[in-house]
Order: sequence, then structure tokens, then C-alpha cells
Amino acid sequence: MSSSPPYTYIQCPCSNEEPAEGSDASSPEGDSFHDAERTFDPRAPRSNYSLYLLEYLLYCEECQQIRCPRCVDEEIVTYYCPNCLFEVASSNLRSDGNRCTRNCYQCPICSGPVQVGEVQAEPETNLLSADNATAAPHGPYALFCQYCSWVSSEIGLEFERASGIPSQLAKMKNGGIPKITAKELKERRKEEPDMPPLEDELVDAELQYSALKTFYQSQINGPSNGLPGGLSLGDGHNFSSPAALTRMMSMWQPGGRGAQGKTAGPPDMFPEATDTDKGLKLAQLDESAKVQKLLDGGWDETVSKDQLLSQLEHAHFQDELRPLQCVLRTKRSRRCAVCRHIISKPENKVGSTRFKIKLVAKSYIPSITIRPLEPLAPPVPVGMRPQQPQEPPLKPLQPYQYILTFKNPLFEKLKVSLATPNNTPGRFSSKVALLCPQFDIDPVKDMWEDALDGDDRSRTEETGQAEAGKIYKRGRNWVSIILEVIPPLLTVDSLRPHTASGEPTDRSPLREDEKILEIPMFVRMEWEPEAQHDVGDSVGKDRNEGQKRELAYWCVLGVGQISHE
Amino acid sequence: MSTAKRQSTVPAGPKPPVNFSSTVTIPKDAVLQGTHSITIQSETLIHPRARLDSNLGSILIGRRSIVQERAQIGVEPQNIDTAIRGGVSLGDYVVVEVNAVIEAGGTEIGDGSVVQVGSRIGSGAKIGETVVLSNGQQRADKRLADARKLGTLKQINVVRKMIRNDQDKFK
Repeated sequence: MSSSPPYTYIQCPCSNEEPAEGSDASSPEGDSFHDAERTFDPRAPRSNYSLYLLEYLLYCEECQQIRCPRCVDEEIVTYYCPNCLFEVASSNLRSDGNRCTRNCYQCPICSGPVQVGEVQAEPETNLLSADNATAAPHGPYALFCQYCSWVSSEIGLEFERASGIPSQLAKMKNGGIPKITAKELKERRKEEPDMPPLEDELVDAELQYSALKTFYQSQINGPSNGLPGGLSLGDGHNFSSPAALTRMMSMWQPGGRGAQGKTAGPPDMFPEATDTDKGLKLAQLDESAKVQKLLDGGWDETVSKDQLLSQLEHAHFQDELRPLQCVLRTKRSRRCAVCRHIISKPENKVGSTRFKIKLVAKSYIPSITIRPLEPLAPPVPVGMRPQQPQEPPLKPLQPYQYILTFKNPLFEKLKVSLATPNNTPGRFSSKVALLCPQFDIDPVKDMWEDALDGDDRSRTEETGQAEAGKIYKRGRNWVSIILEVIPPLLTVDSLRPHTASGEPTDRSPLREDEKILEIPMFVRMEWEPEAQHDVGDSVGKDRNEGQKRELAYWCVLGVGQISHE
Repeated sequence: MSTAKRQSTVPAGPKPPVNFSSTVTIPKDAVLQGTHSITIQSETLIHPRARLDSNLGSILIGRRSIVQERAQIGVEPQNIDTAIRGGVSLGDYVVVEVNAVIEAGGTEIGDGSVVQVGSRIGSGAKIGETVVLSNGQQRADKRLADARKLGTLKQINVVRKMIRNDQDKFK
């Protein structure tokens, strides 16, 4: 809950459901019945995980229930590169990994996208006449970052061709030193078998990994080295092998099948890699060169945490960072976890940002806004408009009035009933009163239709001032009512010694979130859906006709800060 | 409301003594004010609505520099207590991008620096050959100096054709 008041959060009903009873969620009556028994406490630790802004919520039409990001299942529709917008098939993903294999690279310094450009080998002598086009010599190419002006030639990376950067980069270490790949090493070994193993400094993580991989692969595929299936408890080493562990686990399981396992599977024990060819790399403990570099370069030469986290290999200094291929992104569709209906599905095409299906809660449940009746903060100037006016902190024990506006997104008349606890939950409870807890909101109508209707029925009930039982103001598809709040005195001494149930009160000092006045409000809405014309099946029609629908949920109104002097 | 341009209600400050090279491009929409001298050397380009304030000290802008729109040079330091007296000096080939703020008080921006969009250079800062990023970080510019200069020059050559020079207004 990061935004400053006033705000409205809606509690997704999924947090009240028992994890086992998935089918029961389709009956909203049941839910509201349970909820009615206890007041929702917005300050409870669990509430943080169930409160969402209306914009973040979806709505399942089948279950007729709000769905939050926690109670939907996501499915990946496509993978694509955010830089070149190229779609990657999921089969390629398995072989090539989750990075773009084309020329898309990220700057290692600032993570911005880099471009391939020509390195100006010979600067033009006459700077003033910059227009004279010289015959372009196709010089070496480098990666340029447009944001932080990083150039890959800084770390000695220059390329012969502008295309196929990944393959060129794979053969090059920072500083332009050719990289020894596992394949090369194998071929070299074939030519001269007596060649001594590589120096440890020359083995990088990639080479080490491929060596280890081949070493262990050969053991898994190779013949079992003589350890039979049974457990030889005498040999203490055996316990460390994962196969022995699983076998022991299966013995202990009720009805376990014992230890007559496979005998032809991989061996129980793998010998460890013992030399460079098998993938052993000793730790480089001589760090004097690094210390010297740190002394020379200072703080600016070292990598930041963000830079380090994005790198594949561990790096200490800026010049050890390598440009990285862009990580692919996904487009996801969302399904209701209960009824498996798709409630949000983006278009497959990468370039399009439209959705095929998107059932957002905003078009099913009323939006609730809260603002003070008599604002004390000066209005925000036009130039800084998105900014909300900051109200001064509320003075304790003084009544404040707020306008709650409900806007109906439906084409049907909405019956709304509200409920708030008289005293907000928590140690310091504010007194809350809703002046008009039950009202109807007119449906969304055409502006013309509304003008031609001309009935003044609605106009008679509104008062334009705070009056109990009356609507404050009413519009085409919205209704405003008044909420009255008396904030508490935020001093520990003012607390009663005992709570209502007789327990001693918590007298710990004032906590951070107790300064914020939040009001839980239960909203129950009821409407009669029109018979759906387009739906073909008659069963659905029967069910829809003449039947009232209702939806009930808790929401939290963030009213403001309470001053605590 | 009238459609005419809104006039600033703040009375215009004194016209600062200026010292322009004849090749400087400065439009009439640029704002120059203050009491100390403002010196701009040859082939430098000032965009419209850039603001140079010499109330706290003189301003020197080197050769072939660019001061972009709404950039403010010589602003009163945020932290008055630690500020030193003095003006601002920009070296050659300096680019001060849109909405950047350079505080007065002995501030020196060395040759070939780029002050990126919206960044703020505090009073008394001395930087050189550096890119100051919008997120408040900075890093040394390790591009070839000539390539970088060429880039700045190309930018000047293009933009000076689009900005109407009105040096006389400030003299």
C-alpha cells in the first residue's frame, strides 16, 4: 500500500476462501454470509496480500466474482524479444535459452539497448566541414549505448562484421582476446594428445561448465561402476549420494517397496572432477592485482550491485562486464482458477498491445472515490495536474465529512448497500458513520437518452448537503453520499485499560500505520441482468432471466493521516 | 481567457553585461539575467528558453557547446549554507541537455561533458569528460574524443539552421 490517501482498495474475495473448497466460490451468497460475521481489518498482516486497486482486478463472468492476480492462473502465449519484437518459438527456447539470439544486446553499464555502429577509425581532419562524405571504409564495428555513451571498444570488443554479433562475441573475451571454446580445445587435443591442460586463468566459467557437463554426462551414460542396487551401509560415503538417499526414503515410506531398485541405472557414486580437463578449477587466491586495480581506479571502477546481478559471470570491475543479450519477455493469458475460463488474453502478434479478451473488474463493479467535502488543501495548479492535493493531517476528535462517489459501469440499475463498523478495528478506533448506506445508481445511458427522459425523480432525493438518509448528489450513472469520520486521539494514555472482552490493552508505542485512517467498508450490490440476446444456450437464458445477481466484497477507504501531536 | 502569450508578472531583472563571439547562436527566447558578465565563446549554440542567470557570479561558456531548452545555468544553490561564492564555467564541447540545472558557486564543467536530461549539478562541483546521467550517477566518457566532438559539431550544424540568431537583443 504505497499510494498516499485518499485511496480505495478492494479486497479480493479469494483470500477468504478455504483453500480446499474451490467449487463453493461460485455462490457469492455463501461468501457474504461468512464475511458478515466479522469485520475486515485493513491493518491485519494478511490484508496486505488481498487488497488491490480496482484497476488491478479482473472479473470472471462465469463465477460472477472478482479475480485478483493471486487467484488467476497465467499461461504464456508467446515469447518475444523486447528489443527487436521478434517472436521466439517455445521449441527454440529450450535449445537457445531465454535470451534473444539475434543482434539485441543490453549495455552492461546502464542496461539500455545498444546499437551496432562503425568505429570511426580515422577522425576527419577538418572538423568544421563535417558534411563532406568520404568513401565509407568499412571499419571495425562496435556496440554503442545511446544512453550512457558506453562503447564496446572500451573493453576491447570490436567486431569485423555488423551482423552475427552473438557468434563473434562468443569467440572473444573482454579485451579482444580470443576465447577458447570447448570445441576448439577438443580439436586441439586430438591433434596433439600430449598437450598439457590449460592454465587455470584461461578457463572461464563457460569452458569449465562444458567440461564438467561432459565429464558427468559420460559417467551417467557409462557403465555402472560396480555398486549393486542394495544399500551397503558399511560404506559411509554412500549416504552422500542422492540415489542412496532416495532409496532410503522409499524404504521408510509406508508400504515402501524396499530397496530392490534398478541395477542398470546410473551409479550411486560419482567420482569428482580432479583436473582441469574434467572441469576442476582452483580458486584464485592471489588477489593482489585486484587490490592494486582497486587502489588505482577507486570506487568508480567497481561494479554496482545491479550490474553484477545482471551478469552471467562474477565480475569485480567495470571492464569485466560484458554486453548481455536481451532477456525475452512473454505475453500471458489469464484463466480463472476456479472455473478455468479465460478472463484475459492478449493478441498473439507481438506488435499489438490489444487484448482479445479482457474482463476487467472496472466494467463490472462500481468505482469508489473519496474526497473531502470541504477540502483544506489548495487546488493543484494545472501544470502539475496528475499530482493529488495533499490534505493536512486530520485533527483528533473532530468530525470530518467526506464525499464518497460511486460510479456504475453497468447498463443495469444497481442497488448498493454499504456497511461500515461504527468503530474502525484496531487500538485507536475512529468513529464512522455513513449518512446514506442504501441507494440505487442509475445505469450507464446515452447522454441523449438521459436528456430526453426528463424525469426528475432522482433529483428530488438529493440534497446537496450532508443530511442523514439522503443522497448528497446524483448524476447520470453516479451517486455521491457523505461519510462522517471522527479520528481518535493517538496517545497511548488515552486508551482504556481493558478491552471489551476484558483483556488488558496493548500499551506499546504508536506504530507507523496507526496514523493512517483507513475505514473498512462492506459493499453489497444487486442488479437484475437483462436477458442476454446473443448467448445461444437456453439454459443460460433461463438462469439469467428474472434472477437478481449480487456481489459483495470488502473495500478499504484510505481517508488521510491523523495528526498525533 | 485570452489567447495571447501570458506575460510574466515578475519584473524583468537587469540586463547582464554580455560578451558574445560573433559566431554564437542565441535566439531571443533565451533568458539571460543577472548582474555579472555572461561570456559565450565561438560557435556555441543556445536553444530557446534556456536560462542563464548571472546573479551569483559570472558565466563562461566555452566553444562549440550546446545549452538546450529549459536548461538552467547559474541557479541559486539548493543548500545555501555550504555554497561558495562564484559563477559557472562550462568548457568546450559541453552539452547541457533539456531541463538540466547547473547551480552557481564555482561550478566547473570540463571539456566534452554531457549533462543529461533533467540532472542537477550542485554548487562547486568540478567535473570533466564525464556523462552525468539523468538518474544522478555519472561515468567517465571513454569514447574517442574526436568522434565525440564530431557528434557535437554535427548537432550544432543542424540545429543552428533552425534557430534564429538574435544576439543583438542581449547586447
